[in-house]
Amino acid sequence: MTTLEQLSEAVGIGKAKDAKVLTQRALDEGIRPGDIVERALVPAMADVGERFKRNDIFVPEMLIAARAMKEAMGILEPHLVAAGITPKYTAVIGTAQGDLHDIGKNLVAIMWRGANFRVVDLGTNVTPAAFVAAIEEHKPHLVGLSALLTTTMPAVADTVRAIRASGCPPVKVMVGGAPITQQFASEIGADGYAPDAGSAVDKARALVGAA
Amino acid sequence: MKGSPVRVRWPDGLPELRLAAAARTFRSLAAQLAASGRPLNTRCGQRGICAGCTVKLVAGAFRHENGDVIAAPADVKACQGQALAGSGTVVEVPARSVVVHQPQVATTFKVNVASAQDPIVRYSAGACSHGLAIDVGTTTVVVALVDLASGEIVGEASGFNRQIEMGEDVITRIQLAGSPGQLQSLHRAIVESTLMPLVHDVCRDNGVAPGRLGCATVAGNTTMLHLLTRTDPTPMGFSPFRAPFLGHRALRAADLGLGVVPPAMPVHLLPGFSAYVGADLVAGSLCTGLMDEPGPSLLVDIGTNGEILLRRGENLYATATAAGPAFEGGRLECGTRAVAGAVEHVTLPGGVFPAVVDVVPGKPQAAGLCGSAYVDFLAEARRCGLIGAQGRLEPTAWAGVPQAHRHEVGANRGIRLRPGDPTTVVTEADIAHLLQAKAAIAAGIQMLLRRARCEPGAVRKLYLAGGFGLHLNVSNAIACGLLPGFSPKQVDVVGNTSLGGAWLALVDSTVLPEMSQASTRAEVVELNLEPGFEEAFIDQLSLP
Repeated sequence: MTTLEQLSEAVGIGKAKDAKVLTQRALDEGIRPGDIVERALVPAMADVGERFKRNDIFVPEMLIAARAMKEAMGILEPHLVAAGITPKYTAVIGTAQGDLHDIGKNLVAIMWRGANFRVVDLGTNVTPAAFVAAIEEHKPHLVGLSALLTTTMPAVADTVRAIRASGCPPVKVMVGGAPITQQFASEIGADGYAPDAGSAVDKARALVGAA
Repeated sequence: MKGSPVRVRWPDGLPELRLAAAARTFRSLAAQLAASGRPLNTRCGQRGICAGCTVKLVAGAFRHENGDVIAAPADVKACQGQALAGSGTVVEVPARSVVVHQPQVATTFKVNVASAQDPIVRYSAGACSHGLAIDVGTTTVVVALVDLASGEIVGEASGFNRQIEMGEDVITRIQLAGSPGQLQSLHRAIVESTLMPLVHDVCRDNGVAPGRLGCATVAGNTTMLHLLTRTDPTPMGFSPFRAPFLGHRALRAADLGLGVVPPAMPVHLLPGFSAYVGADLVAGSLCTGLMDEPGPSLLVDIGTNGEILLRRGENLYATATAAGPAFEGGRLECGTRAVAGAVEHVTLPGGVFPAVVDVVPGKPQAAGLCGSAYVDFLAEARRCGLIGAQGRLEPTAWAGVPQAHRHEVGANRGIRLRPGDPTTVVTEADIAHLLQAKAAIAAGIQMLLRRARCEPGAVRKLYLAGGFGLHLNVSNAIACGLLPGFSPKQVDVVGNTSLGGAWLALVDSTVLPEMSQASTRAEVVELNLEPGFEEAFIDQLSLP
């Protein structure tokens, strides 16, 4: 197996330490950082997403794989920046105001990175104004907005409304989180909804026209 | 006066005691009394932490162990000094300072502290002979009927919280309560459809007329106490999760719309720490003895929300962790509450099928597996190599599983513990839910320990409370990674300490003020804001 194949496998089964070592080895072998992302990490995370959608893996395994991916990206990012490589698409992501639960949001952020998006993570408890400001600053193609608590769903609606009313550059808005449904997403005028982190990648690619 | 003994007046018609001058070696008044066969309510082990041994100095003087001499009249803690002989000293011991109840194991909980028999209402044979200790859980509600003369629990009734039909978890109910008319519906569901039938049943079954009920104490999570009092819980639904009330509340049955009982019957709601670390945990902190010891000690209460309290010296840290209902059997293929007929223990001797199962005794009310059975299964299946660290059935082990023990529906595989029995199935999807639940609790424990700069090995006692009841196999709980870094000898399984604390507050009038004091002392930790929580959670998703 080549180093990239081994790296892809280590990420897929969530071996974070191996993923770090193999990423470093790939760099040492002179493989370009952009190729490491394209040829090892992107296919690994695509496979994780597919297996999750088929119920072949469950949330725990997906979280463990995502962490391995994050470790690998942590090593690659400075090299990517140095090489002047920026992904074609940018996404801004955060949890709705009042909601501090971010494990699901973080998972989507990693899956999007794995699909070669530049992801600006605004963190948790993000006000509508902060979303608008980030859109103006980063001019993303996509905004991801999540809520875990039923009680913070109104804040999701408020944020979508604020983005639409702000006059900031046009952007696709995607919503998700345990209590969110397609119906709710349609009602509040979001462009897209995904029920889980696996399908969040397909939906994101479709929304930005990359599919 | 020279050499005159200390006179100690005793309640309940017991004869006065005369204590000769204390020996030269220092011995506290509490120790002297205990040596005379009259122990005081020293639940903190005579460390001066609790107020259980407070006595009235009516005349004369008392020398504190620090050398200060206190003159009558005064209230003094008997464990903290000596009554001075030869000064005409008279001490009066109130009923609340006499120990009557030793630590005990009740039906569904353990009480680790001694207590007085001095109820928060005055006993009277006709009108005020019994009281109620109540635990209002998100899923289960328990009402204990207590004889106020003796403090004994004479009967218990329990059932589902009927609010479940309107929403499974606290967040759903908080959201619902914000819709027009729904706060009223939730209130009716808990008071009229849940509590009143349980109170009626427990009185009828034990031959006590409800008119003789004199008082009730209620513990429960903060959301449940809000819905019980028809208080809008909306601010608890989003960060910063403010609770409209947290302190002890003294109400009347009529204020709650609680019928069956006399309308003027006092109802005391126990105080809570925060919106998500409620009166149930304050109750547990007294009931387990955690509040009366220097620690480090942990109280881990496993319910739909895991609540964790850590005491280290004078510091208290509290947190809540979203475990979900898996350990109460929720969202699992064959999950059920720990009711008669449910499997409560599982062993796989050497990995050979069929599994050996024990069911909860009594007239079967349900088939299925309860939380303690799942804990056993995780530990046993991992031990014998049936499942791997990620909770998956290992291919070679699966190949050896007899057909009658296999469960396969689409891609979802599982094990039938009894051959061919579809009510004893554990699937890989179930295991994934359980791993998330146990990881939430394990990571919560790790975060509190880290905050207090404490290692698991340094913890003197870990009290494990919750719906598991008293029959959880501690070695298996540790083997499946629920209590990372702990050894079985550190763990004390204490059952429903929310109910235990409600009972304690009912029978010993010194307890409720101590609960109020305790409830203001905890530093509440929001796990989602703790650096390292997600890392710890993901680490704990694997089986050891």
